[in-house]
Amino acid sequence: MAEVKKYEEPRIGVFVCHCGTNIAGSIDVKAVMEYARTLPNVIVADDYQYMCSTPGQNKIAEAINEQKLTGVVVAACSPRLHEPTFRNATKAGGLNPFRFEMANIREQNSWVHMHQPEEATSKAKDAVRIAVAKASLLEDLVPKSVPVEKAAMVVGGGVGGMQAALDLANAGIKTYLVEKSPTIGGRMSQLDKTFPTLDCSQCILTPKMVDVYRNEGIELLTYTEVEAVEGYIGNFDVTLRKKARGVITPAEAEVRGIVGGGCTGCGDCSEVCPVIKPNPFELGMAPRKAIYIYHPQVSPLIYTVDFDACVKCGLCVEACGDKKAVDLEAKDEFMTVKVGTVVLALGYDIFPIEKKFEWGYKNYDNVITSLEFERLICASGPTGGHLVRPSDGETPKRIAFVLCAGSRDSTGVGKPYCSRFCCMYSLKHAHQIIEKIPGAIPYIFYMDIRSFGKMYEEFYYRIQNEGAKFIRGRVANILEDPVTKNLHVNAEDTLLGRPIDMEVDLVVLAAAIQPSAETEKTRRLFGVSCSQDGWLLEAHPKLNPCGTTTAGVYLAGVCQGPKDIPDTVAQAEGAASAASIPIHRGEVELEPYFAQCMEDKCAGCGMCINQCPYSALSLVEKDGRTVMQVTEAKCKGCGTCGGFCPGGAIWMQHFATPQIIAQIDAFLLGGEQ
Amino acid sequence: MAVKKDYKDQKLSEKLRDRKYYIPDSNPEFIKDVEKIGQTAAHMCYQCGTCTGSCPSAPRSSYRIRLFMRKSILGLEEEILTDPDLWLCTTCYSCTDRCPRDLAPTDAIMAMRNLAFKRDIIPRNFLQTVQLIYKSGHGVPNNDANRAARKRLGLDEEPETTHKYPEYLPGIRKILDHYRLKENADRILAQGE
Repeated sequence: MAEVKKYEEPRIGVFVCHCGTNIAGSIDVKAVMEYARTLPNVIVADDYQYMCSTPGQNKIAEAINEQKLTGVVVAACSPRLHEPTFRNATKAGGLNPFRFEMANIREQNSWVHMHQPEEATSKAKDAVRIAVAKASLLEDLVPKSVPVEKAAMVVGGGVGGMQAALDLANAGIKTYLVEKSPTIGGRMSQLDKTFPTLDCSQCILTPKMVDVYRNEGIELLTYTEVEAVEGYIGNFDVTLRKKARGVITPAEAEVRGIVGGGCTGCGDCSEVCPVIKPNPFELGMAPRKAIYIYHPQVSPLIYTVDFDACVKCGLCVEACGDKKAVDLEAKDEFMTVKVGTVVLALGYDIFPIEKKFEWGYKNYDNVITSLEFERLICASGPTGGHLVRPSDGETPKRIAFVLCAGSRDSTGVGKPYCSRFCCMYSLKHAHQIIEKIPGAIPYIFYMDIRSFGKMYEEFYYRIQNEGAKFIRGRVANILEDPVTKNLHVNAEDTLLGRPIDMEVDLVVLAAAIQPSAETEKTRRLFGVSCSQDGWLLEAHPKLNPCGTTTAGVYLAGVCQGPKDIPDTVAQAEGAASAASIPIHRGEVELEPYFAQCMEDKCAGCGMCINQCPYSALSLVEKDGRTVMQVTEAKCKGCGTCGGFCPGGAIWMQHFATPQIIAQIDAFLLGGEQ
Repeated sequence: MAVKKDYKDQKLSEKLRDRKYYIPDSNPEFIKDVEKIGQTAAHMCYQCGTCTGSCPSAPRSSYRIRLFMRKSILGLEEEILTDPDLWLCTTCYSCTDRCPRDLAPTDAIMAMRNLAFKRDIIPRNFLQTVQLIYKSGHGVPNNDANRAARKRLGLDEEPETTHKYPEYLPGIRKILDHYRLKENADRILAQGE
């Protein structure tokens, strides 16, 4: 319970940073420092080249000791950057670290007012005055430690999610791997080969899929989606929807008392099923039954009933026989698991490139996407690896690749960003047709070839040497010859400075990628922000690319932004490492910005309870009165209740009403309180 | 193939000619010939432009070596071999020194000149040079001004070449005859008159 505070006589120290010329280049630091000395409660003011350096920090600690300071103000950069640094310096001087206040005179001042030194200096004085006003009223606060559940969750079972789950499990952490589709493997399992090494994608992926399946630390939950999330770092309660699969595993069969039962993946059910649907794994280019697996290497090898298509004829139940694995009356099930940290590896979808009408996808038979090309060139694909023209099944000889199809597009139809791996896989595609089809010529229409990774430029060199033709120019439009179904690709050869009309047999669009359909819903459940383009927002683009602004939630792979397989795996390992730290420490410190109820003022009206977005508030009986109580571990310090309370009975620690009023007064009164 | 629109007015037809690049208009074997003669992997050119940037001829003319490399990859044989710019290379080899893909654009140009000469496409002054070499052993023979300058520098009036040793001229003529260079030069020059 919070009391109305009584304050000792405040003694404040002010330290102004030059930050080289970042601040001193436009702000008169000495003038700001001299001005600080005139402010009420300021005992000492100083300035230094780099306050964040060791000598700079020592100045703070020494001043606290010598001048018996009660509060510290540093006028420097953004608190996002160095608040932790100066809190530590304050602590080193013997003060409570929360008796520190930062005035941002760099990001919000010198950098934006670079050419207005007088005004910038005046604004810096304001900022210092306001910070001193708050620092005079700061109080000791103690961070709260909460225990961390020794379990983690990875959402998404592509190569990134699999790697994160393996790393977490191998670090001794129980890990739930949640995948929406019936098998793990993700996009990578749809690819034929991988650049620049030309490894067979399935060959290098399936051992990992088996590792995941067999790892005792991983609880693999396929055909499962996240339904609801509650809690905070260390204590997430995640509700999962296990979608009705219609087929039970041997383990589930044992629970039901069916000896030797459950799905063995024999496929007898699928053979007799009379319903035929397009297989989404083959992008609709091959059929599947209503009871199906995506491909032979699925993990787990358990069939799935598509209840939207199933006619419940029961033939599969008969075919399965004594194993009794098929249950056509299955319903969705829900389960809740408690985890300490979460890694999101939500992957990507292909941008619906038919929206760019000029390239004729879905309008012309022989215009396909790169992912369709992957399936057509893949030995286990619908054509057994024989690349054919969809219009007539003939082998194409002249093949045009359209790069930046929908990427680097600011029209609002396509995507403004570079999808980052299209250049490289298109080079790989060119190699594959040269290798597989004698006399075939790949024509690559590009704006820039972005071969940035290790051995990538060398791969580009190799493909050019193999005979791929490069045409620098974005494809303007494609027209179809109605008789031959050949395509006329219109572009400018910008290196020649001349328009080109190239008649080809097949066009492959390297379509842009976009966040997967589930990304938006899932990120909202976990409270993770996204950038304008829909990719999930990292905590810092350079220094914290795996973290998010939600403590305990980390990012892996393309859901954070387009990246290729090596980068995805590397980020997954980074995210797994970050996610394991709080679990291994066993407890996390929460910043003590909790709401506190001033019980003598609280009328127990309960109106704040529903306002709280984090369900952190409740009403309790105390000394015969009904008062509000805060569950500190749940409170994020957002201030919604504090601003709302009609009786002013809620004290927002570190952002208390008297502190904020003092700041406003200091600004409006110009320091002449 | 280029779309033909037959306007009655010849000039208009030329003005509105279809200038698009079509694969059937090109010769995919051309680049192979260039590479064989020039002994350089011209198809590996990635069109950075270092060659044109280095070229002493480029700022003073419309000669663009990068464009010749591009056109040879695209197999634009007719266009290359009939382009007068092909003969503006000074063979200084700056482009070859600097090419980041370690190609020899100069040698590619020399190869294209060779292919042009096979079709009797060659500027007259080049042929006159052939005749001068046949006659004197020099593309640019000694002259009086040069002799005076040599004398001032304390050198012999004639350099240590066929000028001083005319007995070696038959050997040079034998080479030119073997490749029928003189014969072709005489023939082509006579045609133009």
